[in-house]
Amino acid sequence: MAAITVTEQPQDGPLIERRSIFSTLLGNRKFVWGAAVFLAIWLTAIIGSQFVEPAMRRTGAYPPKLSPSFDSPALWVGTTTLGQSVAVQWTQAVPNSMLVGLIAAAIGTSVGAIIGLLGGYYGGRVDAVLRVIVDIFLSIPSLLFLILIASLLKGVSVVEMALVIGAFAWAWPARAVRSQTLSLKERPFVRVAKLSGMGNLEIILRELLPHLLAWLGANFLNAFIAAILAESALSIIGLGPAREMTLGMMIYWALNFGAMIQNMWWWWITPVITLIVLFLSLFLVHLGLDEVGNPRLRTEQGG
Amino acid sequence: MGAFWKYLGNRILIFIITVFLAVTVVFLVPRWLPGDPLQSVYSKMAGVGGGAVSDELIAEYRRRFGLDKSTFDQYISFWRELLRGNLGYSIASFPTRVSTILRQAVPWTIGLLTFTTLVSWLLGSLLGAMVGWSDGKSKKLNALVPIALVLYTTPYYILAILLVFLLAYRWAIFPLSGAYTLGADKEWSWSFAMDVLEHAALPALSIILVSLGWWFLSMRSLIISEKGQDYILWAEARGLPKRRIFWSYAFRNALLPQTTGLALSFGHIVGGALITEVIFAYPGLGYVIYNSIQQLDFPVIQGTVLLLIVSVSVANLLIDMLYPIIDPRIRIGDGGN
Repeated sequence: MAAITVTEQPQDGPLIERRSIFSTLLGNRKFVWGAAVFLAIWLTAIIGSQFVEPAMRRTGAYPPKLSPSFDSPALWVGTTTLGQSVAVQWTQAVPNSMLVGLIAAAIGTSVGAIIGLLGGYYGGRVDAVLRVIVDIFLSIPSLLFLILIASLLKGVSVVEMALVIGAFAWAWPARAVRSQTLSLKERPFVRVAKLSGMGNLEIILRELLPHLLAWLGANFLNAFIAAILAESALSIIGLGPAREMTLGMMIYWALNFGAMIQNMWWWWITPVITLIVLFLSLFLVHLGLDEVGNPRLRTEQGG
Repeated sequence: MGAFWKYLGNRILIFIITVFLAVTVVFLVPRWLPGDPLQSVYSKMAGVGGGAVSDELIAEYRRRFGLDKSTFDQYISFWRELLRGNLGYSIASFPTRVSTILRQAVPWTIGLLTFTTLVSWLLGSLLGAMVGWSDGKSKKLNALVPIALVLYTTPYYILAILLVFLLAYRWAIFPLSGAYTLGADKEWSWSFAMDVLEHAALPALSIILVSLGWWFLSMRSLIISEKGQDYILWAEARGLPKRRIFWSYAFRNALLPQTTGLALSFGHIVGGALITEVIFAYPGLGYVIYNSIQQLDFPVIQGTVLLLIVSVSVANLLIDMLYPIIDPRIRIGDGGN
């Protein structure tokens, strides 16, 4: 879709560069490193989970409280008080946490984009109503509402959790998309499109949306980080998916069984380090995207 | 003045809607979901007695918790009781009122939150402004930027866990958990005060460090963008002292969005403090929520969350009302869009 717009509107500056955006990104060291580390974690977990048989996930499948050893891959990061392999848990937890991030970020970004585009483009009463709703959702402390709803649902699954988190992730993109739409719709090419008889929906999809794609991509990344963060926060409070494994639930169980006081560092440090590395890698990706999208931010060593 | 009143009216309207929404969600969601909200009470009693709970007792409990009336009547009385400050009874420790539990927890959370927010906001803004103003000329100041980036990306609970491990478990400089030594006399004495401070140090440190990074980075970029403005150049051309340009021009202007940032992220800050309390077993509202979730004590969870949502909204409203004082454009009336 973006490519079509580019060929049709060569007069519009920033879009012409879009074709080379991939090579620019691949030339950005922060982006490449961040993406590589992120994908490495994900792939390791997914490949690792292929080797996990149902029996290995059972409680008591291994001797309890083993410190890390190289005897077998399942014991690389030790076992829990209940004789579960931390490595096996990890291969389940990483994809689940990522799933929460993906679903919630997809909901938040797409719903936010739709509401922002509609409000910004149509203006008037639609905009006034949407604006009040967005303002309310922005001032609402979302974690508190998440705690409330998750506690009322009494036991959530990974997907339900992602849906609830996503339901509170759209307000910020909606506001940002709205303000960008407001300035975009005054630009000459939108007026030309209107005068040439393009329908409103077509203008929104073909003229406005392509300009917002870069921003929406960055927002997706932010929402992804925020969702994983919210997932672990809720899990640590005790509202996570108790029957499934996520990085947050790994921390929850480790804390709950007093892993720290019993000096079972491998138990809690595995999810904690994973989360830190995940956040840092995604943050690098974000910085890389920022530099590519906004050349003024480019540093001497980064660009 | 018109713009100011319109702005204020808008803020107050949003405040009312938020509180209304929160109360309605707290009221409606448990009633939409299948199952008796008092189920955990019955199972607890059945567990104690060994037999099923009699219908009379169930009816009495439903009456006591107001579940026998129509939904609309329940809603009205829910509001009435709420405005009186009555949040109902705890299920896990039945005769205790939710408000009693909250009253014991609130001072800990408020103390922790006020101190950490003020310190991190002021310190982060000042440091960020200084680094943004020096613009890479000072190597020492510039070294703060990557540190702030790391702190900003670190979630509250991760830093808290690492601090507990290093400073409380490994090196045992600070106590592991709690707000005071168990069994200590809770009185206004020097030793108890020191005990409380010692216990609060680590939770406070972890909240301050994480939020510091954010305030630092946001202020730094604000100052950098102010620095490129024409009025700064003009002030420099007029020969105003650097110090004056920094404080009364750049810093003052950058303070506006920084204050909005504080208002916008207040809910987030509270959320972070709750999680931190859980990790440190600090007896504030976050720990109350954690315990009530473990005990399936829903009235306490709801009461706590409701109290938090209302307080965050009130705090937001107060910051919004302060905003015209530091932003003259809203006062005079050519802004507010």
